[in-house]
Amino acid sequence: MAKHFQKRGKRILGLDKQSWIKGFFVGNAGISIVVLFLICFFLMLEALRFFPSHHESLKVYRQSGQEYVGHLINQAEGYQEFVSFTNQAYFAEYDALFSKERGIKDSWGALLGEIEDEGEDLAEALEDARDEEDEAAIAKAEADYSAFLLELTSEVDRASIDSFGRLAKHDDAWESLLEAARTYDPVEEDTPEFVAQAIKAQKEGMSDFTKAKNEIASAGTTLKDLRSKLVGITAKIAEDAEADKSAVARKEAILEGADQLEGEARAAALEEAEKIVIRDEFPYGERVKPLEEAKQAHKDAVVKMSAGLVAGIENIPAQLSSEKAVELVAKIKKGEERFLENVDRSLEQATEWKYDEELGFWNSVAKFFFGRDWITNSSWTDVYGLLPLLQGSVMISCIALFFAVPLSIGAAIYVNRLATLKEQNLIKPSIEMIQAIPSIVLGFFGIMVLGQQLQDWSQAAWVPEMFRIQDRLNAFNAGLLLALMAVPTIFTLCEDALNNVPRAYTEASLALGASKLQTVTRVIVPTAISGILAAVLLGLGRVIGETMVVLLVAGNRISMPDWGQGLGIMMQPTHTMTGIIAQEMPEVGEGTLHYRALFLVGLVLFTISLAINISAQKIIKRLGNA
Amino acid sequence: MNDSSVTLDSADAPVVAANEPIISIDDLSFSYDLGKTNTLRNISLDIPAGKVTAFIGPSGCGKSTLLRCLNRMNDLVDTAKVTTGKINILGQDINAPDVEAIELRKHIGMVFQKYNPFPKSIYENVAYGLRVQGINNKSVLDQAVEESLQKSALWSEVKDRLNTSALGLSGGQQQRLCIARTIAVKPQIVLMDEPCSALDPIATARIEELIAELQQDFTIVIVTHNMQQATRVSDRTAFFYLGELIEYDETTNIFGNPKIKQTEDYVSGRFG
Repeated sequence: MAKHFQKRGKRILGLDKQSWIKGFFVGNAGISIVVLFLICFFLMLEALRFFPSHHESLKVYRQSGQEYVGHLINQAEGYQEFVSFTNQAYFAEYDALFSKERGIKDSWGALLGEIEDEGEDLAEALEDARDEEDEAAIAKAEADYSAFLLELTSEVDRASIDSFGRLAKHDDAWESLLEAARTYDPVEEDTPEFVAQAIKAQKEGMSDFTKAKNEIASAGTTLKDLRSKLVGITAKIAEDAEADKSAVARKEAILEGADQLEGEARAAALEEAEKIVIRDEFPYGERVKPLEEAKQAHKDAVVKMSAGLVAGIENIPAQLSSEKAVELVAKIKKGEERFLENVDRSLEQATEWKYDEELGFWNSVAKFFFGRDWITNSSWTDVYGLLPLLQGSVMISCIALFFAVPLSIGAAIYVNRLATLKEQNLIKPSIEMIQAIPSIVLGFFGIMVLGQQLQDWSQAAWVPEMFRIQDRLNAFNAGLLLALMAVPTIFTLCEDALNNVPRAYTEASLALGASKLQTVTRVIVPTAISGILAAVLLGLGRVIGETMVVLLVAGNRISMPDWGQGLGIMMQPTHTMTGIIAQEMPEVGEGTLHYRALFLVGLVLFTISLAINISAQKIIKRLGNA
Repeated sequence: MNDSSVTLDSADAPVVAANEPIISIDDLSFSYDLGKTNTLRNISLDIPAGKVTAFIGPSGCGKSTLLRCLNRMNDLVDTAKVTTGKINILGQDINAPDVEAIELRKHIGMVFQKYNPFPKSIYENVAYGLRVQGINNKSVLDQAVEESLQKSALWSEVKDRLNTSALGLSGGQQQRLCIARTIAVKPQIVLMDEPCSALDPIATARIEELIAELQQDFTIVIVTHNMQQATRVSDRTAFFYLGELIEYDETTNIFGNPKIKQTEDYVSGRFG
């Protein structure tokens, strides 16, 4: 039989050409799937290992007594705020009441300094002459000195002497100062009467406030001292406990090294290895005894501090003339009650601390997901809390969408339904061109141009106080730039969604006497709404994963926002999940807790993006079925 | 509108007595490419009020284009242009600069070839035309919806599911809904662009019955491919060929006794 239908062509490794071609394409698709799988796998592997390590480190935190001291630190730091507010209020009041007197006092001091510096030799000559009681020499020295004073006072730079300009409005006081300087006697060194009066007046005028201020400041010192003592003790315990964990490994390593050595060096190495104690369990109980003993002192210190705060605040003069001081004192009084409650609660928690209390595993999870601090490379203890980063990412994304969504939907509606062909051909490529701007360039623009510009604009009189920008780099600035990045994505997808609305709907609507605008708002947008929603979601996905711009522009301050500012929190610097990874990943040691924490942040980010993308796809699919 | 004359709602609108021309087209030429080639050439015809007028002719003869000129739907095409002539509707030149297409379309409804209800509820579809005119009073809308659905013979079928999606109706029902939607705004004239071409014979029959009933209230202009349909529903028929009006007469004359050879060839099925 003739073999007409047999396969032709060479076979390679038993496969013909068609199979090879097919294999090539299957391979391409397969590689991407495998890569995706590997990425997920390693991300999960590193990220999930965070929790056991974190648990371990939290356990050390508790057992070494750092947990206890942590409460103490919080109490002391909370108190420090009151001390600093009181100081600020004090100086504000001081300035308001005795600006002139302070100006006289400080300027006199500065003038004297100048005189003593410049006229040192002349003053010595005068003193010598007086010692020798040589009339002629005295007269000459005195004449020289007053000539020097005359010259100095005529040349003196007022701005550098009265450096805060407190005497700017008091020319008479300035003249009296110069007058007094001209007759100054370097040997007698007496203070002019009106300067002494000024000093006395301010001292007396501020005496009540001074007393209150000192009362508040001194009440906290006992706790402060206790704090530095206990911090030292617990840090040492934690360090030793860490060292203990690696004792076996270290000993083995030294012994192994000793095998290579000879003679004395070998003996020394063996001796060193001998010193390393290997224990089954680190004797936390014994080591934290000083803490247990300090509990009473701690309690006493807190009681003293609270009492001192209450008394001190009561002693602050009721009548203040400086607006700023009034504001600060109001803030102090407002915070007082809450602080006292917090301190009591914190003290209670601290007293309840037991080094050997069981620490549940969920603690390690909860502390990460609900932790309000992210502190790394600290001298005390590192804290990994997701919330400040998550809120930063969410806030910036919200700002970005707030601006990008109306802009891009509006543009899409215009281009798709209202624009002429010419306008379409101009607008569409222009918007799509935005996508071509590298994010680093946008970030650069945000730092150099937009940040400064926004800050200047925000100082305008009509801008509410809370929206005045203090820091050039902040969430709002980053949000605006991200909005720009999201516009092309949302615009393009929106336009597609609008395009999918059958032309027949438009015709029907117009034929019923609707205007173009009515047609858009009542028929086209409602019909395309799921597509538009999907576009917005994909825009959100784009924004939340963006790194470069936020790293450059968001200001990178890791803190929970001050909700007292209301919407003003948008104007504060913040940090993001993407930003923290980019910033810290290059510097962490592999396998450390910090390293795993960053991976976990990455996993959270991945999960969020995935959820957004899946929902967008679901929506689009539903649209396709409808 | 139950008397046999029709009028615009506005105060200065003229009254057109039955059988008097409500639409008069005078020497109309129309182009889709800014006048380079004319799709319609020198068409003149008067359409009487209160009658059904059918436009027939082979594909591409311009009958749909002429229909879309009547409510200025061709405005949607950027390059469309009336090159010569005038269309007077209710005594007014509809292409005059001071005429607003939106206002015009409130008086001239249109039913399309492919039924196209909005993806909204049945109720909202019918109420749409009123809503865009700013009428949101529930009782007014309820009444208009019921009345329109009854006139379009759909009420009994949908009254229990007014709030379900219009897209759940059958094709014929959807087309009747489109008719209800059109007559809800009480136009004087209803344009129908091959309203039955996407429907099966039974649905078609129902629409034709409906047209006969609507004739009492509206002036109807219908474009159709189906010559039997033209004979069944229309009073007068215009035959178009290659953008020109060949013959325009009583329907019985066009089909029974055409004066022009081309018409006779077409209606007897020799070409088309």
